[in-house]
Amino acid sequence: MKESTKDHAALASQFNKDEPRVDWHDKTLWWIREKRDKAAHGVPEWELLRDTASGIKENVLSRLSEYLLQFEEQAIRNGVKVHWAADAKEHNEIISSILRQHAVNKMVKSKSMLTEECHLNEYLQEQGIEVVDTDLGERVVQLAGEPPSHIVLPCIHWKKEEIGELFHEHLGTPAGNADPQFLTHAARLHLREKFLTRRVALTGVNFAVAETGEFVVCTNEGNADMGAHLADVHIACMGIEKLIPQRKHLGVFLRLLTRSATGQPITTYSSHFKKPRPGQEMHIVLVDNGRSIHLGRPDFRSSLKCIRCAACFNTCPVYRRSGGHSYHTAVAGPIGSILAPNLDMKKYADLPFASTLCGSCSNVCPVKIDIHEQLYKWRQVIVQAGNAPIAKKAAMQTMTWVLSNPSVYHTAGKAGRWFMANVPFTVNNSLNPWYKQREMPEPPASSFGEWYKKNKK
Amino acid sequence: MTMSSRDKILAAVKSNQPDFRELPPLPGETASAADASSANAATPNFSPEQLASKFIGLLEGIGGSAYIVSGFDRITHILREEHADAKRIVSGCPELASLAETPAHYDDPHTLENIDLAVLRAHFGVAENGACWITEDLMIERALPFIAQHLALVIHKKDIVANMHEAYERIAKAEKDGMTYGFATFIAGPSKTADIEQSLVLGAHGPRSMTVFLLDEEMSDAGFY
Repeated sequence: MKESTKDHAALASQFNKDEPRVDWHDKTLWWIREKRDKAAHGVPEWELLRDTASGIKENVLSRLSEYLLQFEEQAIRNGVKVHWAADAKEHNEIISSILRQHAVNKMVKSKSMLTEECHLNEYLQEQGIEVVDTDLGERVVQLAGEPPSHIVLPCIHWKKEEIGELFHEHLGTPAGNADPQFLTHAARLHLREKFLTRRVALTGVNFAVAETGEFVVCTNEGNADMGAHLADVHIACMGIEKLIPQRKHLGVFLRLLTRSATGQPITTYSSHFKKPRPGQEMHIVLVDNGRSIHLGRPDFRSSLKCIRCAACFNTCPVYRRSGGHSYHTAVAGPIGSILAPNLDMKKYADLPFASTLCGSCSNVCPVKIDIHEQLYKWRQVIVQAGNAPIAKKAAMQTMTWVLSNPSVYHTAGKAGRWFMANVPFTVNNSLNPWYKQREMPEPPASSFGEWYKKNKK
Repeated sequence: MTMSSRDKILAAVKSNQPDFRELPPLPGETASAADASSANAATPNFSPEQLASKFIGLLEGIGGSAYIVSGFDRITHILREEHADAKRIVSGCPELASLAETPAHYDDPHTLENIDLAVLRAHFGVAENGACWITEDLMIERALPFIAQHLALVIHKKDIVANMHEAYERIAKAEKDGMTYGFATFIAGPSKTADIEQSLVLGAHGPRSMTVFLLDEEMSDAGFY
């Protein structure tokens, strides 16, 4: 993703310029949220599953160092090479050194938000290594030179006509053809050639089992499997928080993951990789990149329980109307807004403010992360550390002054009502962020204090 | 001597991880069974007929199809009709030798690229989501269930579990009996995507159709032909 100095509000206002598109984006994601509700309501023990998943993840965080050691030992026993990366740079160097060892300069990759977080594609491209993203949505944004805008639905912000045009330009499909069936088939042919000719495949990891050393990759398209089973070398990259204690715990998470994400009962493929196939090389890269620090923050560590279903994106009134790119981070939405400040509090100081704190995110979270409460706590940490957005800082200081001086407070209230009633253009203008996309309310004739004085017996 | 990243990460995790939290029991487990390797997931008692019917309903709902059949003769008949144009059929079932090549092994998975139909045995189905569990010893080659244009799986009708907890109990039991795997997968329906404006398209990278045959040997063939 390109470096950006713009904050969420500024980027969202760009997205908001095209109102019909915002409505369409909003409705599409709400439809997915509704599918999630239907799927969740179809499982009578749904709330018990959420409690159990949350409890398992709490246990994981409390014994993470032990589980990491156990997983490493089992994976090595299974014939897998295990690497440890302290940060994004080391992660990228490990991948590039594996590619160099095999004298390979082209590889296929299935969805991995971790590699987005580490900016792996850009890093490898600079070294002359071509990476082809094989998830259809990721291929679309890759051809367009964009990062994904959603962790489960990477090109949710793209219209089919635009994808038709993009494929016409890059894959040679007929101009003007925007039929999803046709375009998907074109991508199938285009990517099949890549699967058959690339010798290294990189995949993400949904869950890794400490007990057995195996890892599970979930896809609907089958792209992780097509890549991994045809390649000589399979590299799987995972954040250290992806561990679960035992295989039987997969039963809980696989029941929750896709029902929460898209309303499906399960992904088409839930593939369990334990050993390389004969003659194949399998690598696992365990990545920290700030996670161990995050683990030490009692108010925020539970965000490491996240299983990346994106239910909090789909339900969020701010995400749905501002689009994923306005979050300027690999994992957008409410969960991204509490994960990103951990990596760089200054750069992502705006994100915890990109929320109404309505709490819908926490209500749909399958592992019961208190997302909206953490957003609220981050705001306090950020303001105390002096990283609040400048306009917000000035407004807060004014508020503090007004609210701590009764006479100023009453005068200000009166002045506000007078301005709104007599010269509304002074508040109903683009300098007032509260006027954007809304009408200001009618000012009341008097304040509550004045009314009370008049009416008290 | 500088610490390796491995040691640094492990040390940081160890010093920052919160106080110990017990593992909760899984749905249906008692608290003491949480650490046992297998437990009895208390699920409502469905009859095999009910489980089969739920499985079929779910599978059809996700774009797959199912047949209850009396045996491999019937499977052969159906596949000949449904895949009349198939040029290359591969199967892990010796019973289908009249229809398909049935090798024990391929040297290079890339040679599977032109397979129209793969017919493989699977271990069991899961009623709550329409998935079938298949381990690599039943795949001939790991790539096969993914690279074929169409996929058919064969399970016994009685081998359908209610949910994923029961599925993992069964996998654990098989492992105890010495049946382990290097690769295994749940397959639920055809490969699919909805990445273009949320329009569902079957056949993203993998099979464009997925059929499950439920073997019921007690079933009579009378009336089929």
